[in-house]
Amino acid sequence: MTDAATEPTAEPMSEPAAGQTRDLSNARDMIVCEDVSKWYGDFQALDGISTTIKEQEVVVVLGPSGSGKSTWIRCINRLEVHQEGRIVVDDVELTNDLRNIEQIRSEVGMVFQQFNLFPHLKVIDNVSLAPIWVRKKPRVEAEEQAMALLERVGIPEQAHKYPGQLSGGQQQRVAIARALAMEPRIMLFDEVTSALDPEMVKEVLDIMKTLALSGMTMMVVTHEMGFAKEVADRIIFMEEGQIVEQGTPQHFFENPTEDRTKLFLSQIL
Amino acid sequence: MSEFTGLGADLGMSTGTIPAVASPQTPKLPPREWVRANLFSSPFNSVLTVVSSLIILAITRGLLSFIFNPQRQWDATATNLRLLMTQAYPEEQYLRIWVSVAVILTLTGLSLAVWRAGSAVSIANVGRRLLSFGCTLALFALLAPFSARATIIWLLIAVAVAGGGGTLRRLADSERTISTLALVLIGLSGLVGSLWVVPYGNHTFELHRTPRVIAEPGTVALSTKFPWTIMLLIAVAAYFLGTYLRDRGSLNATRTTLALLWLLMPPVLLYLVLRDPDFDMGHVFGTDIPIFLACAVLGGALLNWLARPSTGEIGRIVAALVLIAAFATFLTPMRMIVRLDLLMLAAFALAAPTFSGGPRARRNYVIGWLGLLGVMSWLVTAVNTPSTIEVPGQFFLGGLSLTLMVAIFTIVISFPLGLALALARTSNMPIFRLLATWFIEFVRGVPMITILIFFSIMVPLFLPPGMHLSEVAAVIIGYSLFSAAYLAENVRGGLQSVTRGQHEAAEAVGMTTSQKTMFIVLPQALRVSIPPLVGHCIGVFKETSLLAIIGLFDVLYIARNVMPNQTEFMGSTKENILFVSLIYWLFCYQMSKASQRLEQRTGLGER
Ligand SMILES: Nc1ncnc2c1ncn2[C@@H]1O[C@H](COP(=O)(O)OP(=O)(O)OP(=O)(O)O)[C@@H](O)[C@H]1O
Ligand SMILES: [Mg+2]
Repeated sequence: MTDAATEPTAEPMSEPAAGQTRDLSNARDMIVCEDVSKWYGDFQALDGISTTIKEQEVVVVLGPSGSGKSTWIRCINRLEVHQEGRIVVDDVELTNDLRNIEQIRSEVGMVFQQFNLFPHLKVIDNVSLAPIWVRKKPRVEAEEQAMALLERVGIPEQAHKYPGQLSGGQQQRVAIARALAMEPRIMLFDEVTSALDPEMVKEVLDIMKTLALSGMTMMVVTHEMGFAKEVADRIIFMEEGQIVEQGTPQHFFENPTEDRTKLFLSQIL
Repeated sequence: MSEFTGLGADLGMSTGTIPAVASPQTPKLPPREWVRANLFSSPFNSVLTVVSSLIILAITRGLLSFIFNPQRQWDATATNLRLLMTQAYPEEQYLRIWVSVAVILTLTGLSLAVWRAGSAVSIANVGRRLLSFGCTLALFALLAPFSARATIIWLLIAVAVAGGGGTLRRLADSERTISTLALVLIGLSGLVGSLWVVPYGNHTFELHRTPRVIAEPGTVALSTKFPWTIMLLIAVAAYFLGTYLRDRGSLNATRTTLALLWLLMPPVLLYLVLRDPDFDMGHVFGTDIPIFLACAVLGGALLNWLARPSTGEIGRIVAALVLIAAFATFLTPMRMIVRLDLLMLAAFALAAPTFSGGPRARRNYVIGWLGLLGVMSWLVTAVNTPSTIEVPGQFFLGGLSLTLMVAIFTIVISFPLGLALALARTSNMPIFRLLATWFIEFVRGVPMITILIFFSIMVPLFLPPGMHLSEVAAVIIGYSLFSAAYLAENVRGGLQSVTRGQHEAAEAVGMTTSQKTMFIVLPQALRVSIPPLVGHCIGVFKETSLLAIIGLFDVLYIARNVMPNQTEFMGSTKENILFVSLIYWLFCYQMSKASQRLEQRTGLGER
């Protein structure tokens, strides 16, 4: 586990990684959360989350299990519904209006821990289905784009296989290509490497890194501290549905202010 | 003993891929060792083997002595074959039956080629099966109550088959294979060829002579050898045409066309070919075609506009208005076809945003509308046209063709209905869910017979004046509703097996609920439901035997009530029932085999 986590940091440091030095304060607001709260029955999963994520920013969300990371990230494309507060994505507020939701979902790509590829469709159809039917692209164009994306994630030769015939790492790369095919402005990653064998983690993280460098706005829930250190513009630490502490990776890993953060770091590092 | 190796080979064959997979690790045991390992591995197993072999032998002997008992009146089935197949369909119109069979065979041949049916089996394997078949035959010949001469003839045949199989097995090297389709063709050619030699159903009962079964030249029965030969040739030709189309044209287009033809086939054959409708051309040109054209043009224009991605919200409102208008037509008297057209237009209008897109997508959508509208208009016209086929009784078809017709129509109609019910029952729209649940629970709570009786007797009383529904049509509707309720429950099981992750992934890429359902959920759900769905189809097929209760002459009714009452075949019920069960079994077994193949096929590549 530590092996895989530290390895990616080892080599590509040569290029100044995404944005520790970037100044994003003038960038547009992509995701605005104001006092977002959510309950599952009596259990409060999110408790007054407020933060703003800028265009091109890469935010890594850390926190112990059950702290509400997945719940939060899933609220942003409304796979979960928040009950209090406001979420505004790319200037569109998330309400019950179906059209808003569909618009936001086609602009926000999401990659899941369990890949969730469509098992009855070939890889290329997995990638091109949504562009054809949601974006209304002509099939030929959508398939060309899908091939280009598969090339970008390094598996063009698997295009005509079924997901079940691929390794975990390959499947997760297809899932990333599928999300990218909708040309989203924001990408959400929920523990995308947790279900992978250690040797496959790197291939997926590398793709996420290039994506970050290309200027995609990203929100990443992960346990890969190496990735967080190297790629994140900002790290948000959550516990019990609240944001406990946030800041640059240096701040977060080298001199965290909160005791709970220190405890968390001491447990995982 | 070779009996048992034969059995083993049979098992290996029927499970298809397993031997190929297992063979590298488990070398095939020689017969003697196989028997020892599988049948006599312990004293207890030996006892089991001996006892069950004795039981099987006793049953076989019983069955054989029943079948070959000289008292059996197999003449009854032979003479009544035509009655069993088509009941009283007029002999001079029989060409229509043959045309229908030819259409079905053509489509079958084309489909076999286009879908690449059939697989390769090694010739040695065929030899092995022939060998075991020959041995079984020999065993049967010894068990059956034959005269010495007959026994010897049968034994000789058995030995010939077994010997042929044995040499084939020895001579053919294991690499040589033959397509299963070729084997089927050889078998069918044999059957058809034998028609020219053996006068199977070649009997006509002539009352005015001495009451005796005779072969009479010129009757339908006698002339079947000719039509069947042509049918076989048609099927083969269709197959080769299919291979040509498959290798030349665009495969997907061919497959779609074929699937549509299969769907169109039952109503076309029934209404246009078998029924010989007496169209009133003045009415057709004066009313039916103008209504169709008006709906086609106006509806096409409306849908073209609705399927434009830029139409947006107004489109949904317009679609809702069309739906309300369609329902409103039921309040005032007007032609049924107008109501149906409007209802269908409303359905298309509501679904338009799902299929919206560029000019190509819109054109396809409008073509879909025109096609469906055309089929429906034609069907309504055809249904309302009187048939010119004059037969005594309620319906011009009977026997096996009635059974098949009701089964096919029921399955085809209840399938979309069942899907819709299952989706409604799992949807998050409370009204749909409630309605679907009530319907399903109500239908499942009443016996099938009550529904049949209700539809055959009561429904015609409730119909608006001027509307006529033939009894068979009413019964098919009742059957379909009944079957749809069960089908919905099977599909619902499949729907529930689609994981939440699949739903979320589809939603996360921005699909609408209907897109998600159509492209992600249903394909996976249906694949899981193949076994129960095929089981259901088998059930529907067999339950058509209940038609007898409301006075229709299905094949079982003829066998049980009609034939044993013919003076010359008094009390031939047992033979007839055995024969009819064989027919039922043949069909059901084929369905079940098809289900296995379908499962293997759709399972390909999915882990
Ligand atoms: N559908 C649900 N119903 C009830 N409680 C839920 C549901 N989903 C999540 N929870 C609860 O909400 C809390 C936050 O869950 P969440 O999945 O967001 O945690 P997480 O931070 O992603 O944890 P992990 O790192 O283990 O994935 C947990 O305590 C969980 O038990
Ligand atoms: Mg989680």
